Amino acid sequence: MTTLYLERASAVHRLNPVTKLVALLAIIAIVFAVPQWWVPLGIVVFVVVPAAVLARVGGRLLRLFLILLLPLLVVLFIVQGFFFPDGTTVLWQWGPARLTVEGLVFSLTIGSRLSALVLGSLVFVLTTHPARLMTSLTQAGMSAKIAYVISASLQIIPAFQERARSILLAQQARGLEIAGGPLRRARALLPLIAPLVLGMITDVDERSTAMEARAFGATPRPTSLTVVDDPLSERIGRWLLAATAAAVIVLVVVGVIA
Amino acid sequence: MIELRDVAFAYEDAPAFTLAHLDLDVAAGTIMGIVGASGSGKTTLAKIIAGFIPSTEGGTYRGTASVAGAVLSEGTLTEAVDVVGLVTQNPFNQISGARFTVREELAFGLENRSVERSQMIERVNTVAATLGLTPLLDRSPYALSGGQMQLVAIASMVVMAPPVLVLDEPTSQLDPAGTRLVYDVLGRLSEGGTTIVIIEHKTELLHEHCDAIAVLAGGRIVSTGTPASVFADDRLSTWGVGQTRITQAAREARTRGLLPATEPLPVGVSDGAAVFGTNGETR
Ligand SMILES: Nc1ncnc2c1ncn2[C@@H]1O[C@H](COP(=O)(O)OP(=O)(O)OP(=O)(O)O)[C@@H](O)[C@H]1O
Ligand SMILES: [Mg+2]
Repeated sequence: MTTLYLERASAVHRLNPVTKLVALLAIIAIVFAVPQWWVPLGIVVFVVVPAAVLARVGGRLLRLFLILLLPLLVVLFIVQGFFFPDGTTVLWQWGPARLTVEGLVFSLTIGSRLSALVLGSLVFVLTTHPARLMTSLTQAGMSAKIAYVISASLQIIPAFQERARSILLAQQARGLEIAGGPLRRARALLPLIAPLVLGMITDVDERSTAMEARAFGATPRPTSLTVVDDPLSERIGRWLLAATAAAVIVLVVVGVIA
Repeated sequence: MIELRDVAFAYEDAPAFTLAHLDLDVAAGTIMGIVGASGSGKTTLAKIIAGFIPSTEGGTYRGTASVAGAVLSEGTLTEAVDVVGLVTQNPFNQISGARFTVREELAFGLENRSVERSQMIERVNTVAATLGLTPLLDRSPYALSGGQMQLVAIASMVVMAPPVLVLDEPTSQLDPAGTRLVYDVLGRLSEGGTTIVIIEHKTELLHEHCDAIAVLAGGRIVSTGTPASVFADDRLSTWGVGQTRITQAAREARTRGLLPATEPLPVGVSDGAAVFGTNGETR
């Protein structure tokens, strides 16, 4: 299965996934509502990173930060910092490149928001097993069919990639050449499409038969083998998080935070 | 328990009927083996018995198929599914995709039937143990070998304990040990009153475990009877069904004059040993 989840024994892992999801959404709402760049940065430094360290996924988070986010932040800084069209307070100039305070603030704002969004989501994904997420969401009232679509796309798609590889292997075994230039390789992949698509269509048929044979959707209230704890403290915590986010948005809208 | 009367079915846009004038009776609590050549319509028949044809398949359907006294085409698929459990041919497609461990996968059908949790745990553990799946319970169902997946697919239906169980080539990817486990489980279920229909190519296994055999050819059931009588039938190969090595050996012995033509043809190991043994003595 291709998810980023890391198995650890930590308080963050043990949290009900719905709580983590609400926290993530609250963070996203706040960082995009508040105009000050230091708010998202503060959330990253004082909430997201400590959570990752507590969950013992800090190393992986750092690696993902370096691979995914850092290049983007550098580009953002160069483009917006030096070439911000509305920049007036010039700090440094070289040819057409002008480092302006406005450009710097703009790139900091976007960069810190992006960091809070991406890093927060990563901590969520790194510490939340998809199965627990699905169970907790269905426990919270999400429909089993929607849960199925999400789970299936997490699992069946990698399984189909596996199948694509085995079809390719079978065709190579019968003399299909896939070495050579990119164009040639792309052409060589064409024969893969028909068996894969046809296979998927017949699969859907048989799969739906198998699902119905196991009474999927037969009752509106299925029971569940796995149960995710949802203590009162977490439920209160979720309401507080949601209320905080709502309060911040209201304060921004009425102009108290500007 | 299962009664098919003059059943016919043609897939949509197909040039001919896949099944026509088909009659089949399976007594309650027995194991019926279905044999037939590739493309003879075994899977189609399985879907009819399980109520999926005509309800989920277009095309032309005629006749009546009833299970436990209820005509399937008159009820809903959910009603049919409660009575008949179907294990389809390809194990990969039976993994729901909705669950992340084998344990949850096995519980999936029970959850959908709103079975209480403690009971669910017990049933899952029991079935997993009988099919040798206990060490795999915490693995992802997609990280299994073909044979293991097949055992999971069978287990996930057995755990629902339907009164009728239809299995479409359930041991096609299993090793002899896995195959034995499956047939042991089926034997025990049948002793407990479950009616079982099994589609299988391995004649010898069917001979050993089934109470009756039906041969599907030309869209009809062309022969039914005990495994010993059906598998010794001279027309077996014309129906596209393989005879056991023992029957082959006995036929060979007959043509060489080593075995009198009056001697019934053996099918399994023990009746084979008996026939060859007595003949050896008389010589
Ligand atoms: N969805 C379909 N649409 C049209 N024709 C079909 C469909 N499914 C099966 N058939 C045809 O119906 C006939 C019987 O198919 P079926 O799958 O029942 O055979 P089978 O006995 O199970 O074969 P096998 O041993 O290969 O599994 C075949 O000729 C097949 O081509
Ligand atoms: Mg078939």
